[in-house]
Amino acid sequence: MLKYALRRILGMIPMLILVSIVVFFLAKAMPGDSLSGEIDPLNTNPEYIAEMREKLGYNDPVYVQYTRWITDFVQGDFGKSTRYKLPVSELVAEKLPNTIFLALTSLLITYVLAFAMGMYSGRRPYTLGDNLIFGFNYAGIAIPSFVAGVFAIYFFAFKLNWFPFAGSVDIEVDKGTIEYWMSRIHHVMLPAFVLGMFSTASYTQFLRNDLIENSRKDFVRTAMAKGTPTGKIYNVHILRNSIIPLVTFLGFDIAALVGGAIITEKIFTYPGIGLLFLDSVTSRDYPTVMAITMMLSAMVLIGNLIADILYGIVDPRIRLG
Amino acid sequence: MTTNTAYGAVKRPEKSSSPWAIARRKFLRNKLAMISTVFLGIVILLSLLAPVLAPYLSPIPDITKVNIGKMSIPPNDEYLLGTDKSGRDVMTRLLYGGRISLLVGASATAIVVILGTIVGSVAGFFGGAVDSLLMRFTDFVLNFPFLVFVIVLNTILYGIVDGLWVLILVIGLLSWGGVARIVRSKVLSERENEYVLAAISIGTPPAKIIIKHLLPNVLSTIIVQATLLFASLIVAETGLSYLGFGVPEETPSWGNMLAFANEPDVLQGKPWMWMPPALAVTFTILSINFIGEGLKDALNPKSQR
Repeated sequence: MLKYALRRILGMIPMLILVSIVVFFLAKAMPGDSLSGEIDPLNTNPEYIAEMREKLGYNDPVYVQYTRWITDFVQGDFGKSTRYKLPVSELVAEKLPNTIFLALTSLLITYVLAFAMGMYSGRRPYTLGDNLIFGFNYAGIAIPSFVAGVFAIYFFAFKLNWFPFAGSVDIEVDKGTIEYWMSRIHHVMLPAFVLGMFSTASYTQFLRNDLIENSRKDFVRTAMAKGTPTGKIYNVHILRNSIIPLVTFLGFDIAALVGGAIITEKIFTYPGIGLLFLDSVTSRDYPTVMAITMMLSAMVLIGNLIADILYGIVDPRIRLG
Repeated sequence: MTTNTAYGAVKRPEKSSSPWAIARRKFLRNKLAMISTVFLGIVILLSLLAPVLAPYLSPIPDITKVNIGKMSIPPNDEYLLGTDKSGRDVMTRLLYGGRISLLVGASATAIVVILGTIVGSVAGFFGGAVDSLLMRFTDFVLNFPFLVFVIVLNTILYGIVDGLWVLILVIGLLSWGGVARIVRSKVLSERENEYVLAAISIGTPPAKIIIKHLLPNVLSTIIVQATLLFASLIVAETGLSYLGFGVPEETPSWGNMLAFANEPDVLQGKPWMWMPPALAVTFTILSINFIGEGLKDALNPKSQR
């Protein structure tokens, strides 16, 4: 197992390097000097600009510039934001907890809902409840998340007044108190639900179909013949088999959350990495754009890696192949 | 007639229907898919006829002109869907917006299907080093966070190529990975058949084997994939335009119209500005998905329906 995991991790490194090269050249292709916010935009004296360009190494060969950039990046120096005049790492560190909080809440909601609905549907297939859940799931898969988000704000925030429509926390509450955390949870619920809607729907359907399939297997018949109560058969014998593939989805979830967070944070004006990314693109704050692009790409790679490793743990055939 | 057959005159066996005929019959019997097809047909027709229909359905058939005196009028008899914040008629823009959203979706789908099919069939047919090289590249493309790279590429290409085509190209170039994988796996299993071996042994050039012999057998999969892709690429366009990184602002598209919902007062108090495009996108996508599911069912010889 360890060997398999190591092989996977090593296989990821060339991918990361390739991605970083692509990101670097994209940044070079952007209009203006994109790698640093060091040059004072108000000073238009060509001598000053030429001097600064020389000093910052923009006249070096491309590969030297790339090596310098990637070395700094790996050490956590992401450059300086042209907009805020702050190191990008500080900006990111300020917004990252919000996004992580959103993603974790979304995962929690996804798994709880998917389990509840999947278990119900799987035990009572083709009943009214199952059909209702199927309808909900179809909507969850087919309706685009931004449309769902906009409708969610309209109904739950404006019409029913259940949730706030923007932000991550009330301004009045003090940091660290119980009210502060309650307010944060209150703010994150709606975006987290919208963000997790797609995965909730697909997991529920997956769990339902898996439960139905497993309930026809021999070991279930044996358990029934022995007189095991139906509830125990489902909760212990069948669920244990159906849970395994579900866990492996976790890795893909991380990758999906990356793209989802950008849209969801924009709809709910939730101050996280996604919103920072969009604002930076709009204000042409390239160092920030690059750092976030690189981070999110790495997240997707890591998500796929986790999925691969979890598959390997669950299914020995994959890890030997 | 009937007496003849009694004397052993063999009745010619009826010619069995071709797979396509069977699929067509199955699809026509699928109510949900048929309703969706009719609905999608109407949406496409309305969008195509936008310049003809707009003058009848709205007092302002112009899509870009700002009318200061007619801002934010709620729906009434004259303005069926009301007007937006610049005094432009929502109905007119909805019709024209459909054209753009469907055009972007369809063109991007065409790019994706062509690229994916070429890469997938070449990798599947030749195998070996070609296969592993192409599939590595596919993995590489699939590993990009789609939304992030579309936004970044869009910023770079903006102004170099005409706005709408930037979007189509960027979406197309980043989404072909899934199709390539599916086509490859299909071609890989199809290639094991003896007719391919026969074709190779009489010296048929690879391109001809792929196009004439392999692709027709993979076609049903490609059709289903293309349908589902069409839906998800319309979502990509509307989503990007909603974020402000898609179709340029002056051209109405469903996503651009939905972007009005970014302003809390419009979202809360003026639902006529964003609800029509939101519902149009949702129902169009639902109908395309139903058609896709119907096609999948109809083209699958194992499904009995």
